[in-house]
Amino acid sequence: MNLIEIQDLKKTYVEKTGVKTEALRGVSLSIEERAFIAIAGPSGSGKSTLLNLIGTLDTPDSGKILFEGKEITAIPPAFNALFRLHKIGFVFQSYNLFNQLTAQENVEYVMLLQGIPSKTRQERSRKLLNSVGLENTARKRPNQLSGGQQQRVAVLRAIAANPKIVLADEPTANLDSETASGLIDLMRSINQEYGITFIFSTHDKLVMNKADKIHLLKDGKIV
Amino acid sequence: MILFLKIALRNITRNKFRSSITIAAIAIGLASLVFIRAFVDGSHYQMIKNYTEFISGQIQIHDQGFQENMGLNKNIPNPQEIVSLIQMPQIKGKAFRVKEYVLASSAEHSLGVLLMGVDPQNEPKITELDKRVRYGKFLSNDKEIVVGKILAKSLNVGLQDKVVIMAQAFDGSLASEAYRVSGFLDTGVEELDKGLALITLKASQDLFVLNNRISEIALSTESIEHADRIAAMIKQKVTNSKLEVLSWKEISPALMQWVEFDVTFINIILFIVLLVVAAGILNTLLMGILERTHEFGIMISLGTTRSQIIQMVTLESIILGFIGVCLGFAFGIAGSLYFGAKGINLQAFSTALNNYYTGSIIYPRLSTGYLIQYGLIVLLTSVIVSIYPAWRAANLKPVEAIRHG
Repeated sequence: MNLIEIQDLKKTYVEKTGVKTEALRGVSLSIEERAFIAIAGPSGSGKSTLLNLIGTLDTPDSGKILFEGKEITAIPPAFNALFRLHKIGFVFQSYNLFNQLTAQENVEYVMLLQGIPSKTRQERSRKLLNSVGLENTARKRPNQLSGGQQQRVAVLRAIAANPKIVLADEPTANLDSETASGLIDLMRSINQEYGITFIFSTHDKLVMNKADKIHLLKDGKIV
Repeated sequence: MILFLKIALRNITRNKFRSSITIAAIAIGLASLVFIRAFVDGSHYQMIKNYTEFISGQIQIHDQGFQENMGLNKNIPNPQEIVSLIQMPQIKGKAFRVKEYVLASSAEHSLGVLLMGVDPQNEPKITELDKRVRYGKFLSNDKEIVVGKILAKSLNVGLQDKVVIMAQAFDGSLASEAYRVSGFLDTGVEELDKGLALITLKASQDLFVLNNRISEIALSTESIEHADRIAAMIKQKVTNSKLEVLSWKEISPALMQWVEFDVTFINIILFIVLLVVAAGILNTLLMGILERTHEFGIMISLGTTRSQIIQMVTLESIILGFIGVCLGFAFGIAGSLYFGAKGINLQAFSTALNNYYTGSIIYPRLSTGYLIQYGLIVLLTSVIVSIYPAWRAANLKPVEAIRHG
């Protein structure tokens, strides 16, 4: 069974000036469980919009998204947060770690929201940090880490609570090619080890070539 | 919860300047409130204490209607019987008095004054009239009179000069007697220094042909605060006699109204302080939320629920409020205790203050009751005011919020 079924998804943004931008113009897509997928395309092609809609951060104008057979576009907004909390992990382009928290506390954050006991949280976050060689950065704040280290912490935060899927919006955009390649390798190893589905957007050919499948978006349509 | 607390604390320390201003607004507001309340309570206490100690006593017992329309015909014929009825350990002192408006004349002038016949042995247990005789001495025999210092000047009399008192006696005859001035009363209160004369109780009973009748029984208790309760107890004990039992609040309703007016005024200040506190916290939180819109967007994306965002913002407000309240208490209490011991000298306004029985040095008085009340109100305000910013943060649209900043 497909993990995600996207059916004829459309989304248009209307600016305050009245100018309309068609971000998605009828996207249909199936994503299997444990997949490692790249959504590629130039800037403005609708990659981020598609990821936002899959992640229930935004609502489509029309079309459906089925997650494990259930329509998530019909989830009332009040329950969206709970759906994301238990099913989805996010990795953002600019890392977006919480500067008030240490690296380890950032990794613990989603587990905290899930109500996982403190001891378990700490053990799991330490184990994850050790697994990617960040054991010495556990007590450091994000601004004391390099870009690559921050993005690795962000990936660990996304997977710490065992989501079904991780949505990564241009995770390598701010990284040099070597670090970018290392990050994709890390995501790949997590995908294989934990069976977590990864969908990441990118316009970097080196990165997209590491995916099992590439979906190319152009002008709001899969081509 | 601990992680949320940590986030809230770190957000507070993230912009130390802004948080300090908010904490300072709360602390200064509460400290001023505590100090002003202590100052006003101190001045009220002194006002009531002085009023009761200068002239009235804390409780008075009269014949029914005497308070409203004073006269010799409204008297207590059997004061000793009443005293035996009201034997209570809470009563510290009892004194009999005769009161009547009379004409006081010297060789040059005549003036209408309030003449009080007082018992020189028992009156000092009720009032400090004896201590307020600045020149000369208090009454020591039935031929002496003590007059207010302004009255003495108006009559143009000195020590040992004669003052003739004239009035209608209880039996309808003309009461007239000459007394020698033994001292001048100097209370600082114009109405007393201008219009009061004292002779002994015995001399007044003889003058007005009252035999053993008296106008009033003045009582003092351990503390002014107990006067109301003890007056009520006395009322129950003398319920069958036609007597009126009045506490100082009923003896001087004007004084009571003044105290109530001041408390209303304090409540207005409390309201203004709360507005300042509310504006300070609201400003800090709204600025903080604007600054952290992107961060809230990330939090919401990661699955933080609305109620958790509200908790986090409210927690920040509670921490700011709590620190502000602690500092406000520290400064307010320290200031009140310091000046409570040292006093605040308002000599420049002494005439006005004396006329209100306050005295020119005010000693602020703290009371735990309103301290807790004010602290809770300020803390509650800081929580209530955080609801709107918290609600705004919780209802941010994640995509728009993430794009912000």
